Formats: sequence, C-alpha cells, structure tokens
Amino acid sequence: MRLRRPLPWLLALAALVASPRARANPLDPFGFGSRGTAMGGAAAADVQDFSANYYNPAGLALARRMEISVGYVNVDQNLQINGLSSGVDPVRAMVAGIVAPGKLVGIPFAFGFGLHLPDDRLSRVRALPQDEPRWELYDNRNQLLYLAANLAVSPWPWLQIGGGVSFVSSTDATLDISGQVNVYTPDSSQLRSAIDADLTAVRYPQAGVRVALTDDLALAVVYRGQFQLDLDLKANIRANISGLTTALYELETDSVNNFLPQQLVVGGSWRIVPELRANLDLTWVNWSAYVPPVADVQVTLNIPPPPAGWPPGITPPSTPAPTIIAPINMRDTIVPHLGMEWRALNERKVQGFVRLGYEFDKSPLPPQTGTTNYVDADRHAFSLGLGVRAVELLPELPRDLRLDGHVQLSELPTTTTVKSNPADLVGNYTAGGTLWNVGVTLAMGF
Amino acid sequence: MLALSMQKRLTFAALLVAVTTGGAASASPEDIFGYGTRSPAMGGTGVAHSEGFEAAYTNPALLGRIRDLKLTLGFEAATFNLHADGAGLPGEVPYDSMRGIIIGLDVPIPLGGVLKDRIGTALALSSPTNVIVRGNIPYPEAPQFPLLPDRSQTVSIRAGIGVNVGWGIRVGAGFAALAELDGSAVVQTDATGRVSSNVQDQLIATYAPTLGLTYDVPLEDHETTRIGVSYRGALAANFDVSIDATKLSSLNIPVLTIAGLAQYDPEQVSFEIARSQGAFLFALGATYKRWSAYPGLLQSTLPCPASDPTCGSLVPPSITYKDTFVPRVGVEYSTSAGKSLDLHVRAGALYEPSALPSKLASSMAFDMTSQATVSLPTRYFDADRLAITLGYGVALRDPLPPITLDLFGQAHALMPRTITSDDSVGKVSGTVFAAGLLAGVKF
Repeated sequence: MRLRRPLPWLLALAALVASPRARANPLDPFGFGSRGTAMGGAAAADVQDFSANYYNPAGLALARRMEISVGYVNVDQNLQINGLSSGVDPVRAMVAGIVAPGKLVGIPFAFGFGLHLPDDRLSRVRALPQDEPRWELYDNRNQLLYLAANLAVSPWPWLQIGGGVSFVSSTDATLDISGQVNVYTPDSSQLRSAIDADLTAVRYPQAGVRVALTDDLALAVVYRGQFQLDLDLKANIRANISGLTTALYELETDSVNNFLPQQLVVGGSWRIVPELRANLDLTWVNWSAYVPPVADVQVTLNIPPPPAGWPPGITPPSTPAPTIIAPINMRDTIVPHLGMEWRALNERKVQGFVRLGYEFDKSPLPPQTGTTNYVDADRHAFSLGLGVRAVELLPELPRDLRLDGHVQLSELPTTTTVKSNPADLVGNYTAGGTLWNVGVTLAMGF
Repeated sequence: MLALSMQKRLTFAALLVAVTTGGAASASPEDIFGYGTRSPAMGGTGVAHSEGFEAAYTNPALLGRIRDLKLTLGFEAATFNLHADGAGLPGEVPYDSMRGIIIGLDVPIPLGGVLKDRIGTALALSSPTNVIVRGNIPYPEAPQFPLLPDRSQTVSIRAGIGVNVGWGIRVGAGFAALAELDGSAVVQTDATGRVSSNVQDQLIATYAPTLGLTYDVPLEDHETTRIGVSYRGALAANFDVSIDATKLSSLNIPVLTIAGLAQYDPEQVSFEIARSQGAFLFALGATYKRWSAYPGLLQSTLPCPASDPTCGSLVPPSITYKDTFVPRVGVEYSTSAGKSLDLHVRAGALYEPSALPSKLASSMAFDMTSQATVSLPTRYFDADRLAITLGYGVALRDPLPPITLDLFGQAHALMPRTITSDDSVGKVSGTVFAAGLLAGVKF
C-alpha cells in the first residue's frame, strides 16, 4: 500500500470501524438472493453481486459494472409439535441491493447495499414465558429486516477486502399512567398517559477477505458480529381505586430477543473446469453466548387497604415473586455449506446455469428435559436453482440481465423430548417439520 | 415611475406578509433543516435546482440529471435553546441536541438508445447517532415544544428515481420510509405464583410518496431558468402499546392503551423557480404544509367503546393546527480556482410560520386530592422561525481525486410570541443552530 493512495483505505477502514454491517437472522437459514441460496449458502469465496453484502463484502470489489438487483423470497415453515401445526409465521420478503464499483486513484473500489424487507414488519420482539413451547430459532427470529451497507477495495488483483455495517432497532420505553381506576366499571376509568420512548439503533459489524490463490481457486474468511434486540418497557401507574385508596403500580419488563451470535466463515471456491464450480463454506456460530428470550419482569404494587376495608368481591393483589430465568445452555456449532454451479448453456448472448446445494445445521439447543421448552431440531437443507443470463440484447435494456430462481427444502427430522419430571406441566412431546423456500432474483448490470 | 415602483414594493410586501402569516411548524430533520448540505445552505430551496441525492427529498425529478456514481458521507448537528417564560413556566425548556449521520448514493442508470442519459436514482439515509425514532410525549401541562426538537430525532430513509422525458421536462417519484411501533404486554401470574409476561413489539414500516416535476424554460438569453414542483405525502410514525394486567389479580382494571404520534411530517407541496445567471444561481420558492390534518400527539389511554362513545374517559386536548406557507430564497456563487478546483459560496433564508395556534384548549386530568376531573393548561409552545443559512463547497476535478466537500450552517430565531391556555400565559423565544459537513466521492 502506498501512502499516496490513502483514500480507498481510509474509506474501507471507516466502513469497518464506524459502520454497522449487514446480515440478519432470516438470511442465516434461508440465504440472500437466489444464486447463493441455490448453492446452499456456500458463497463466501464466490460472490460479487448484491448478495456479497451478506456472504462476503469483500466480493463487492470483484464487480466490474454497476448492478441493481431485486427479488422476492417466500418461506413456508411447516413445523409441528405433537403432530399439530405450531403456526409459525412464513417469511415473505422483498430482497434488493446494489453494487456500485469504480476506481479511486486507480484502485478498484465498490459500495454495496443490501436489503431484505419483510412484507409484514421490520422486526418483531416477542418474549414468551419460558415454559411455553416455541420453535426458538424459527418462530420469531426470522421476522426481521436486514439492511446493510458495505465498502470494498481490491488493492491487488488477488486480494479483496470489505466490510460494513447493518442496523436494526431496539425499544426502550417508559410509560406513565395516572388517574382513577374504576374497579366496578373499568371502562369508566379516567386515565391518561405520557410516553418517553426511543427506538435505538443497534449496529453490528461485518468484514471479509478474499484471496485468489490461482485463477481457479479462491479462499475467503468472513466475520459477522453479534447483536441482540432489547425490549425494555417500564410502566408507572398512579391511580385512585374507585375512591377507596390510591395505588402505585410499577411494572418493568426487560427482554432480549433476536439474538444473533457472532460467526466466522471460512470458505473456498474451486473452478474445476470452465463450466463447473464447487464451493464449500464452514461457519462457526457462537451459539453459547445466546441470551434466553424471556422477559425479566419486576412488579411493584403498593395498595394500602381502604379505611373501611375492601368491599366484598374485591381482593387486592399482592406483589408477585419475580421471574427466575433458567439458563439456556446452547452449544457452538459448525455449519457446513456445499454448493455447485454448472454452466449448462454458453451461447454468445445467453448463458444458462444449474445449481445445487446442501447445508446441515445441527441444533445448538440441549435436550429440553427441564422447565424450559425451546423447541428445535437438526436441519438438512437441499437446494436447487436455475439461472439465465442475457447480454446486450437491446441498447435500451441493461447490458447484462440475469434471472435466477431457487427452491430449497429443509427437513427437520422429528425428535422426542422426554421430561425428567413426570409431573412436568407441558410433558413429553415430539417436534419436527419441513421448510419450503422459493424465490427469484432479477439482476440488471449496466 | 417612482409611484409604480413603490406600488410594486407594497404589493410584494403584502404578498410576503400573506404567505408568511399562515401559521407555522417544523418537522423531521429535513423538514426543519433541509436535506444534505447544498439545499440547507440555500434556505432549503432545491425544488428547481437540487443536485444528487438531495433531490430524493426536494424533487425526485431532478434525479434524472445524475450522471456520475457518487457516494456521500457526512455529519450534521443542531442545538436548541428554547424559552417559555411566564408564571409557572421554567424559562428555558431543556432539550437534547441532535447529532446525525448522512449517507447518500447517486446512481445514474446508463441505458442506451433513446434512454441514454435520461434516468437517475438515489438512495439517502439520515439518522440520529443514538436513536431511530424518539417518541417523547409528556403530559400536556408539562412545558414542551412538540413541533421542534424531538421531531428532529428520527431516521429518514429516502429513495427516488428521476427521468428526463425531453422538451425540458423531467418527472420523478420516490418515497420516504419510517418505522412505527406496535406492541403489547400481558402480565400474569403462573401456576407457581410467580409473575410471567408475554411481551411483544413490532416495528412496522410506514411510507410516504414523493413526486416531482421540473420544466426548463426555453429562453433566448442562454441562461437557464427552471421551474420545479414537488409533492410529499404525510409521513407519520405511530406508537401504540397496550398493557393487560387484568390477569394479575382479581382487581378489575381495564386494558391500558398508550398510543400517540411519535413523528409526523405533514403533507406538503413546494413550488420554486431557479435561474442561473453567469456565476450565480438564484432560487425563490415556497412550501405549503397541511398541518390542519395533524391529529395531535396523544390518544386516549382508555378509548371509549363503540357502544358508549361518551364514556367520560379523559381525552387529550383538541388543537386545530394551521396550514402554513414557508417562503424560501437561496443564492449560490460558483467560481473556479484553477483547472481542478471549483468553489461554491451559498446563502439563503426561510421563514417558517408556526402551525400551533396562539390559544390552546385546556387538558383534562384526574386530581388525586379532590378526586375529581380537573382542567389543566396545555403548555405546548412554538413560534414562527426566521432562518439565515450559509454554506461553502469545494469540488476537485481531474487530475485530483473527484472529491466534493460541502458544509452548511443555519441560525434560526424564534419570533417572540405569546401562547395562552386557561390562565397560563407563556412568552416564547429561542434560537436553533444547525451545521453539517458532507464529503462525497465520484467513482
């Protein structure tokens, strides 16, 4: 690196240090963009389109022309407990992104932006009682926006470096309620409220490096940071109880949701022959840092008895004991991703591709033999994709048009959970299911 | 001749008075300070002359002029020194300063044939450094400036596309996005007597459209005169959380709804004419803001059931906000200092009338001592603002790296004003200072 060319390095450094990086929960199991998903998510060393914002931002520096992509993904989550549907919401989202390459003082440089925008919500934080059975890794964590911006440089043709940030939002709210509660006719209560709420930004980093060992072989390392969404809610209620007494009721609930553990990906891509490429990624996921998604609820009640005592039929509440949150004890995992791409058609203006992929997610959750019921199972994901690329069809069209589609079937074999306490309120149960992931992506290169 | 000149001046003055006394208010960061650096330095003008990603806000039709891929990063900040003086009032009403980052991306769409050099797009993000959206809605009797400081504490995501259709006409469309919150908390005791809860909140995207049109007037003096019109839809971020503690005891208490409007930008239409003459660019415009549609900050904590619409629940004060006209003027002087360096000096002014009426309805509360409903003064404050803006820009050209550096500064003065509610009289004054610095690179 020569000092007379500091700008790209400064920009890249700024992106690595100052910006949050991109990658969100739904992208872990379901991929980003049809090409990467069809190849089992094995793309760290073989990506240069908008999906590089997730798989490896260093790949952005491989782009040679500006490219805008847009697509859609639909994942139906057919998950069951004891043979009954768990009602896990589908994941339906628009995906989009841009890769804007260029040169700064002679050095290839690129900016990338990636978006996974769910149809129904940007994010959802949901804290259930810890004994309530739920598909911990599929029920709520995939209902999340992914928004990322990255920068990448290629100081030498064999080296690409990239990084950036992604951000989501946590909630910190204090609600103050005052007035009169009418315990005889609650709708006639006279209450009003004030709000002090912040949706705070949560930023998390991502960085990647890609090294081309030969024209046909490349290696990559990607780091993805950890994040969590907090939901901290405080409600203070000062109210007159039907003229009987004055109550002070303080409720504080703090919960952590959508925890995304830090990850390290080591990947390789080998072009076996000009028409055939094979990729392998290994992802270490730091699940052992997972925070239980259970609300820590603190309730304070101060209700002095009325001078004449409580009327018949009204029992004043007492301060309940606080929640005791059981540890979740997840284990770190290594997730293998395998992918292959065959260029089946290679005409002057049209190319066609067939892609296959597989990944195996071993469940990081221990057997739920105690009071908690975080349901999960190992996941085998098989994927298939087709792609077509058309080049310079008409001057009014983008120079390079690509349409990719994918289908991914994830099988979660049915497992049985046996409780150590025969009197457990939930009892033994079986859980398993399938996930169908279908999507298309249109990329326009200019 | 002199009489005619005086008559013109009086007519102009009357028009100026007419457009500046409509009422006033301010909105999210771009509505208060403008977007980017060039427009804020020129009095918030730009509907007819914006360049680059700023046009995603001012007028997306101008995105059709983008020819270079450009990334812009920057920082902006604002401080608020707001006063409400009078009996029972604190004098200075403290507010946090606003600090935010700005990211803009100019993206030309390089198609060929008849579409060559006709389409451009932009993405833009401005965000406070510490929050996405702030919803601070105190009780109405607490002194506050509801239309100014906290409304600047919100993220703004904008995107747009502009097309040059020929004959001097450009059209464009885009949108602004914001997040609103919808949540619930159900608190109960479990079988062991311990408290447990089911808490959920969702961030839901809310969008507002932006439409624009410009026309390059064909004149014979070889200078450029452009007319621009843009429309921005209302952008509202709601806050809605319900708390259900009915299962915590046998005490028969209602489900509580805490709902309000955390952020609101009114629907608005802007018109502007800009003329470049030699090294100068002049812009004159106005923005109509439909504040009369503003529903207010808070909703009832206990909405009356449909079967009993007059259930006696406490309702927030009813305030009829006024539509406003904001006149703006801006000027830019450009010169070259050598083959590879362009310099720009900018200045402008705007006058933002207040949308808040001078006499406010009182608010209702339940008094614990008398155990009765009482009326309290509504202590909302706001005032017309006169802003003077300045800016400076540097652009490097080949053989130097294609970098731009722009900064702006704004000084807003709140015009002295008296607002009354019940027997409370508040005299409003204050200042707002804002500044920003953006660096861009073409690649």
